[in-house]
Amino acid sequence: MEHLLETIGRNMFAIFGVLSLCGAAFMVASRSAIHSVLGFLFTMLCIAGCFLALEAEFLGMAQILVYAGGIVVLFLFVVMLVEMSKKSGPEVFQLQSRYAVAAVLIGAAAFVGVFRKVIFGSASAEALVLRPELAQGLNVAKQNAQAVSRGLFADYLLPFEILSVILLVALVGAVVLAKTERV
Amino acid sequence: MVSLNAVLLISFGLFSIGIAGVLIRRNALVILMCVELMLNAANLNFIAFARHSGSVSGQAFALLVMGFAAAEVAVGLALVVALYRKRDTVQVDDINLLKG
Repeated sequence: MEHLLETIGRNMFAIFGVLSLCGAAFMVASRSAIHSVLGFLFTMLCIAGCFLALEAEFLGMAQILVYAGGIVVLFLFVVMLVEMSKKSGPEVFQLQSRYAVAAVLIGAAAFVGVFRKVIFGSASAEALVLRPELAQGLNVAKQNAQAVSRGLFADYLLPFEILSVILLVALVGAVVLAKTERV
Repeated sequence: MVSLNAVLLISFGLFSIGIAGVLIRRNALVILMCVELMLNAANLNFIAFARHSGSVSGQAFALLVMGFAAAEVAVGLALVVALYRKRDTVQVDDINLLKG
């Protein structure tokens, strides 16, 4: 039992990663939009688990708050507003889907061809460890939120401020786009 | 211990599924969700490389990407709602206003 728990703890990232892939496949393949949203929610939670397994605790929690708390609810609202009122047609996939699938397959084959050495080569098994001499100043492993905030507000302050302006523009744009014609 | 390639493979898989969804689905809402999925795959890479290089720049940028994704979803869903008002559909095949 202890051994099993230890194995699960060691392979947490792989478990969450495979689960997120399954959720993403369900999201793309499911017929109804509500099921797609549920698959999206599951995928986002699994990706948050991946973040936690990579010791990015703050980002994992932010992922759960932003995606599972905000974006999925927004999607659900719009699906209820748009989809429920009318039965969707029998066609789920686009007319040119055969060509699209072929393009995706060709892209995947090209990726495997280019990165075959990197992924399956011998040098690929390098473990993802924290370099202690770099991490010491920021204390990444101990206080992730503090480290992220220092990176965000000291090194990347300008992108952060630009992001706030972009969010404001998106807010105004969403209101303008979604309001009815008569003023 | 997580190897870098495991993270890259998972992220590649998520990105590929996102691209496949954008290309083959007809529902505009599902296409938006697939775009979100691709942004998340990029985030996963950011975090993996931040961990690999021992700096937090990648994590800070992943947070910025999350904010951009939220802005994109707000505008995208507003577009979908406006489109539904105008054309009474969210299937992208039925939207051919530019076709003469």
